[in-house]
Amino acid sequence: MKTFKLVISGVGGQGTLLASRLLAEASIKAGLHVKIGETYGMAQRGGPVMGHIQIGGTAHNPQIRKGEADLLVGFEPAEATRRGVTYLKEGGLALVNTRVTAPVEVISGMVPYPNMGELIGLLGKVTDWLVAFDATSLAEEAGDPIATNVVMLGAITESGQLPFDDETVLSTLRKSLRPQFLELNVRAFDLGRKAYREKAS
Amino acid sequence: MGNEAIARGAIEGGIALASGYPGTPSSEIGNTFARVAKQLGIHFEWSANEKVALEVAFGASMVGQRAICSMKHVGVNVALDILNPITLRGVKGGLVLVSTDDPSQHSSRTEQDNRWLGRHNDVPILEPSSPQEAKDLTKYAIELSEQVKLPVMIRTVTRLSHMRSDVELGEMQRLDRKPVFDWDGFSYRVAGFEKLFRRHRERHGKIDSVQEMFEDSGFNELKLNGGERIGVIGVGFAITYVRDALEYLGVEDRVAWLKLVTTHPMPERLVARLVESVDTVLIAEEVDPFIELHVKALAKDVNPNVKILGRMNGFIPREGELSHEVIDARVAELTGVELAPEARGDLEEAKGDLLFDRMLTMCAGCPHRSSLYALKKAVQAVKGDLMNVVVNGDIGCYGLAHAPPMEFEDTYFCMGASIGVSQGMQRFGVDTIAWIGDGTFFHAGIPALQNAVHNKAPIKVVVADNQAVAMTGFQTNPQLGRTATGDKVEPIMIEDIARASGVKHVEVVDPYDLIAAEEAFKRMLVFDGVALVIARRECAMVAVRNMRPERPPVYIVDQEACVGCKQCLSTYGCPALMWDEDTRKASIDTTLCMGCTSCAQVCPVDAIHRRCDA
Repeated sequence: MKTFKLVISGVGGQGTLLASRLLAEASIKAGLHVKIGETYGMAQRGGPVMGHIQIGGTAHNPQIRKGEADLLVGFEPAEATRRGVTYLKEGGLALVNTRVTAPVEVISGMVPYPNMGELIGLLGKVTDWLVAFDATSLAEEAGDPIATNVVMLGAITESGQLPFDDETVLSTLRKSLRPQFLELNVRAFDLGRKAYREKAS
Repeated sequence: MGNEAIARGAIEGGIALASGYPGTPSSEIGNTFARVAKQLGIHFEWSANEKVALEVAFGASMVGQRAICSMKHVGVNVALDILNPITLRGVKGGLVLVSTDDPSQHSSRTEQDNRWLGRHNDVPILEPSSPQEAKDLTKYAIELSEQVKLPVMIRTVTRLSHMRSDVELGEMQRLDRKPVFDWDGFSYRVAGFEKLFRRHRERHGKIDSVQEMFEDSGFNELKLNGGERIGVIGVGFAITYVRDALEYLGVEDRVAWLKLVTTHPMPERLVARLVESVDTVLIAEEVDPFIELHVKALAKDVNPNVKILGRMNGFIPREGELSHEVIDARVAELTGVELAPEARGDLEEAKGDLLFDRMLTMCAGCPHRSSLYALKKAVQAVKGDLMNVVVNGDIGCYGLAHAPPMEFEDTYFCMGASIGVSQGMQRFGVDTIAWIGDGTFFHAGIPALQNAVHNKAPIKVVVADNQAVAMTGFQTNPQLGRTATGDKVEPIMIEDIARASGVKHVEVVDPYDLIAAEEAFKRMLVFDGVALVIARRECAMVAVRNMRPERPPVYIVDQEACVGCKQCLSTYGCPALMWDEDTRKASIDTTLCMGCTSCAQVCPVDAIHRRCDA
């Protein structure tokens, strides 16, 4: 098979690492080799985080070359544009959480947060296949904003781009989460699927 | 994950003990042991510092047990003092030292290449190129160590330590060896002083024997058809960029390559086979020209006219980690393949103009932010100007004190240095504050504090005590009252250590009470002699985690009362605070706020309240 290449970008604390781990486990479950390269540095403290995921294929290094990602998952609009402009292939799918996480530069008044139209517009120069929605409110609706990552995972699954079926993702989710949080996360997952269906249609 | 694979390899290698000190990118090795050690009957500990960690592992080795010890690259600087006698004296049970290096300094203050430290002490070095190999090599390293009686270093880089992939597992091994001190190997009383003392020559003999083994190691791989004019040596993880580049550029048939995993001692005959056969050798390695230097020396004997390219002559940049861009371009240049030009230069430029960097900051509700706010107020009041003290910080989350909007830290160097360097300044009348975390205090702060008391350096120390080793992912330290594997133990309190060390002014204060903290800091600043304040409040991330499934109490900005002065944003700057350009009022992001109340104390017009009392 052709290698499926996916870039996840976001901000420390948003749970991007867990999202990529769940995708890796689902890939293995589907019998596919998987490689993930993660850049997080000291990201726990509000810095940018990025994960490169390659499913299937023969690459030795997990890093995706510029302009070669099939799918960009942006957990935050500015981070979506930061990585999408560099890594997303022309016409590739960009899934974007529109909830802003302002960096300290913006909070303390050093610089303004970029205009949303300009941000998304720049990403739009790479692709016109853009599905954007407020995943964090959906996570809040499900019960905890921390479940934003699972909302996004629902949207990724619903997009049908992954080289394995929905049930593989769902059963991985069920197996990997602690029972007391399962109900909340399944709600979040379903809200993500629904959001994709509504936005993409 | 590369780090998890190392832990698994150690377990397959039959270790009885694992130790370490947390630090990115090494921490997940220990985190993995912490999760499984009890179940597998292994002792795991987060030690007080890296030197202690390696000593603990060496002790286990001397009683015949297999052991592994992991740390980040700069940790090996701390452990070096014991590494040297271990290599001279030798080991009994297999002993592996894992050094995770951090090219490009993703989360470190330096990109030091620890292969030099291995070589400096005749430590064999293995550099895995994949998570699978990280596991397999760790198991092999334990066996090799026991066989040749030298500690063996596994050296990884961030990209491998943090890389995830599917890994085929082997059998876990539990040896249950009877612990017996090797009297003949280590005891002055039994073996005699002379036999144990001068062993440099013996160590050379051991390392030479390892070199012979590495000549035939199945972990290295040479692909040489015979007709190639160009050869590439990819050392450890660097080979992944090389092989991907050869495929990407379609030059696999024209370029010979050597995957070199047994880095030190370098197998010269194997390397010579490549060097003799080609006109040009490119060496890809992270981060110093360690192998390159050795290949240059070797080439003098085996192929003096060969052209050797790498980091020494800047063909590959002398600093920073490798990337597809770097290796693709160099291989393309050597093979004469045209690379597609950078297609999105304009877009990248537009992005640069539009986007901020996203600087690191302390979390919403971080107690360190509150401490700094109160400390600045106290310094302003006592010293008249914030610039009248030098703030010597230390290693941890609180090291972000230098960043906006707090901007109240001048230096940080290495674990514990805040207390030491402050004394040299204070000696000449330059006022200082040492700003150190609880974990770091235990790692290397205690001797420095005792030095201040003993040598009468009247320094002022603030311990930013968030009761967590937060930066690296919540490992344990001696004050927390529990071990890495969850056993309850007597906590060792920092205030008790300070008092026992002769510090006459010791206070503990809650930084969420901004006024009380400010007053405590003022008393510290005017005290005549060494003074120490512990600003103690649990890490906000831990606090939120412990509330689950409940969410924190909700605080709001009363939009009527807010006068839009922005003081909460500009002087306090918690990430949960937001500014609305249209209404010109502040508000609070309830997904981030954890209810610490500090901003409510900062607000000059009392506009911030808990929701139910608003």
